[in-house]
Amino acid sequence: MKNYKYAWRNLWRNKRRTAITAASVFFAVYFALVMRSMQLGTYDYMFKSIVESYSGYMQIQNDQFWEDKIVDNAMEFSREIESTLLSDRNVVETIPRFESFALASSGSRTKGVMVLGIEPGKEKHLSDVEAKLVKYQLSDSAIEKLLEEDIPESVKENLELFRGDLYSGDGRIQLDLGIRDKDADRIMQFIRKHASMENGYISLGEPGALVGGRLAKYLGLSRGDSIVLIGQGYHGITAAAIYEIKGIVNIGTPDIDSRIIYLPVDICQELYSAPGMLTSLVLHLESNDDKSIDETLERIGAGLADPYRLLGWKEMNETIVSQMDADNKGGMIMIGILYLVIAFGVFGTVLMMTAERRREFGVLISIGMQKSKMATVMIYEMIFMGLLGIAAGVAAALPTIIYGYYHPIKFSSDMAKMFEDYGFEPVMAFKWIDNYFLWQSVVVAIIVLVAALYPVRNIFSLKEVNALKA
Amino acid sequence: MITKTAWKNIWRNKVRSLVVIASVSVGIFAGAFSVAMMEGAMYQRLDDALNDEISHVQITAQGFRDNNDLACLMDNTGNMIDQVRLLEEVEAVSGRIMVIGMANTATKSTGVQIIGVDAENEKALSGLHSKIKEGTGGYLDPSGVENSALIGVDLAKSLNIIRYMITGEVIDSLALLGVPEAVTGKLRPYMDIRFKNEKAFKKELKPVFSQKEEIRYGHMIKEVSQSYREGARFTLTFIDREGFQTGGRFRIAGLYDIPNNMFESSQVFVLRDDLKRLTGLNEGENHMLMIRLKDVDDTREASQKIAAMFPDLETMNWREIQPDLAMLEQMAKIMYGMFMLIILAALAFGIVNTMLMVVLERTKELGMLTAIGMNKKKVFRLIMSESVFLSLFGGVIGMIISKIIISLTATRGINFASYQEGFEAMGYSAHIYPHIGNDFFVVVTLMIIITGILSAVYPALKALKLDPADALRTE
Repeated sequence: MKNYKYAWRNLWRNKRRTAITAASVFFAVYFALVMRSMQLGTYDYMFKSIVESYSGYMQIQNDQFWEDKIVDNAMEFSREIESTLLSDRNVVETIPRFESFALASSGSRTKGVMVLGIEPGKEKHLSDVEAKLVKYQLSDSAIEKLLEEDIPESVKENLELFRGDLYSGDGRIQLDLGIRDKDADRIMQFIRKHASMENGYISLGEPGALVGGRLAKYLGLSRGDSIVLIGQGYHGITAAAIYEIKGIVNIGTPDIDSRIIYLPVDICQELYSAPGMLTSLVLHLESNDDKSIDETLERIGAGLADPYRLLGWKEMNETIVSQMDADNKGGMIMIGILYLVIAFGVFGTVLMMTAERRREFGVLISIGMQKSKMATVMIYEMIFMGLLGIAAGVAAALPTIIYGYYHPIKFSSDMAKMFEDYGFEPVMAFKWIDNYFLWQSVVVAIIVLVAALYPVRNIFSLKEVNALKA
Repeated sequence: MITKTAWKNIWRNKVRSLVVIASVSVGIFAGAFSVAMMEGAMYQRLDDALNDEISHVQITAQGFRDNNDLACLMDNTGNMIDQVRLLEEVEAVSGRIMVIGMANTATKSTGVQIIGVDAENEKALSGLHSKIKEGTGGYLDPSGVENSALIGVDLAKSLNIIRYMITGEVIDSLALLGVPEAVTGKLRPYMDIRFKNEKAFKKELKPVFSQKEEIRYGHMIKEVSQSYREGARFTLTFIDREGFQTGGRFRIAGLYDIPNNMFESSQVFVLRDDLKRLTGLNEGENHMLMIRLKDVDDTREASQKIAAMFPDLETMNWREIQPDLAMLEQMAKIMYGMFMLIILAALAFGIVNTMLMVVLERTKELGMLTAIGMNKKKVFRLIMSESVFLSLFGGVIGMIISKIIISLTATRGINFASYQEGFEAMGYSAHIYPHIGNDFFVVVTLMIIITGILSAVYPALKALKLDPADALRTE
């Protein structure tokens, strides 16, 4: 009979023990997979929302600009560069940006802001500012009216929690207020009636600004008001102008929302006395996965001449990368602890198995079975046990992860508020099946094989006479 | 008697029991230590926020908090300060003028909040005066002739006030810190070149080092190479009371260094008198009164008392100002609970397996005991006690080890220097001093006992089902 068949049958001689050991591996694999998927998925989501709403995956800048973000370090922009960039197979579009710092004021209120000149049409590919225009505002008067309507008490309580908040879509407001799907149509009707907010968009050639929601609140601005921007233009020329506010936008990342002003790029160049110049050119890519980004970086970087420099998203978002790296290590340590505990459990089982079968080993060896064959059978048994656990763990984790991938956990009410206070979007996403699945198997395999060393050593040092007496 | 027997039974198969005990103690130790790290980081964040950043209670005029409007002032604060000081819970009170403005150097400018403070009162209120980075000067000095300012290290970096240079001294001190010759050697070609900021320094030096060297020593090299000239100057511009642009040149008295990048790069402290003169405010006018209490636990009562004293003003305590801080403690408790639960559940598998084996191996013995009149209740209790002793013994060892390791590391802390940037962006220090409350051990002990009991249920039921006649016949 084949070794693996022996091993398989041996496993079922003590069903209970096999089941419990496999269950412990199952438990660890399941937890590890779901935890990893959630952690990695949430990073991806956070990166996506930050990278896509602001920096983009790749930018061309003047060589000096990243180190020293001043208008003097802007770059000349020519059609030639654009066409060379567009000829790369992963580049779909180049999106011009003019980014600078200014002091924004309205009445006696002032704040340092980031002025971002964009090409309104092209920006659709990346941050899609137009989709972020505010649709609903839970203003004091809106809340007052909503409280009089026939809506559930829990929703009314949540209204208080999110007083003053802005929303650019139906989904988030329903979550924050804890509106259930069956009530959604009815309640949204009231919200549309009392809390709607009209907004316009900006276009090239027309002076006008879009303001982040938190910034607008801080400066006490609403649509149609004027905002004064004062900054330093190209070669030290004073940059000052007054713009009408065309709309309020709601940017998910609070840190950006509280200091951003969008202008049409040509108006922005005019403000800073830098016609035809850009601070950066964002490349809109066909595919955004790590591998093709790295390849594109290499391809384009090689062909780029001196005053220009190519930056990848990792380089542009170092702080978040470092944060996530630390958090990632923390998650790995937790899973490590979990596996360590499981390893002890597996070892305990092996110990029993060996002790229990000492006599059997003795008999088999005395009647002529080779020790090496017996050790092989033993190793097979262990591997089968591990595989059972992994298979069950993966089988159970898959539906959870697939479901989570399509339905990210979105927090509502209190929890949402807390996430936002920390500057994160209140969403936990799952990562699609990836290398991390493989790692679990590797770890379990190592645990199982190390544990198998004990019985194998035991078999080889077995004295038949003593074993028979056991 | 049952207890004694159970204890003795554990030691009948020493190796097997030791494996379980070891797994429980390792699991508990790993869990406790991780919790201590998280809790340590959390308490440090809380301490830092209360001591250096927001204090315990703040009073402002209604509406100031929404937009920092310069005109949103409180009058006659001198009397208010005296009144608040009379409260027995209050340790210190200080008035602040706060304006939004721009900080400029020749090459850089950035938006900041300028805070005018009374140097003497402030020292009693906030711990910032003790957080001055070594070699950068000292706290605000009211006796100086020039305007003076205290700014954060991060702001100094972003204004290009801190520059980077490798000198012979830098290389010597790196060697003292244990950086190998191979690494410092690579720095030599860059001696005495002045880099205007951290990014430029990094850009130039990054290609020279391997990734491993960068992770290991990059942070140290960056720290040591900072070059700062004491007494550097910069300008602050802002809008005065009449709405005109104003400002002044300030001498930097010192740089404060705290683990919160956001705060460091946006909050500039100057003397109240200087800011009062420049903005045209009157004596007795302030935007905010900050109050430090003798005991944090008094926050609620004290802030209620203060709110009642000034019904026209807005009084907020730290829980209201930063609700995330207040929730931190609760959230952390939930997280530890879940973490320990997962670990104990993983441990339970091992315990169940072992206890099951105990029962099966002793079929004959248990049969005998029942046959000679031991009742089922006692058998059940015997198995339960064995399981609880086993897990508790491991748990106690684990807790003793964690207590020892935590107190060993608690004084010196553990430094995750290479992740400093990420930690500090969230307001956390990368240098963590593990800390754990005694209530944690009480809860964990209870959890272990419950785990022990639950894991023994199945094996014990198995033992109860044994028919003494059959059991006696087994080999």
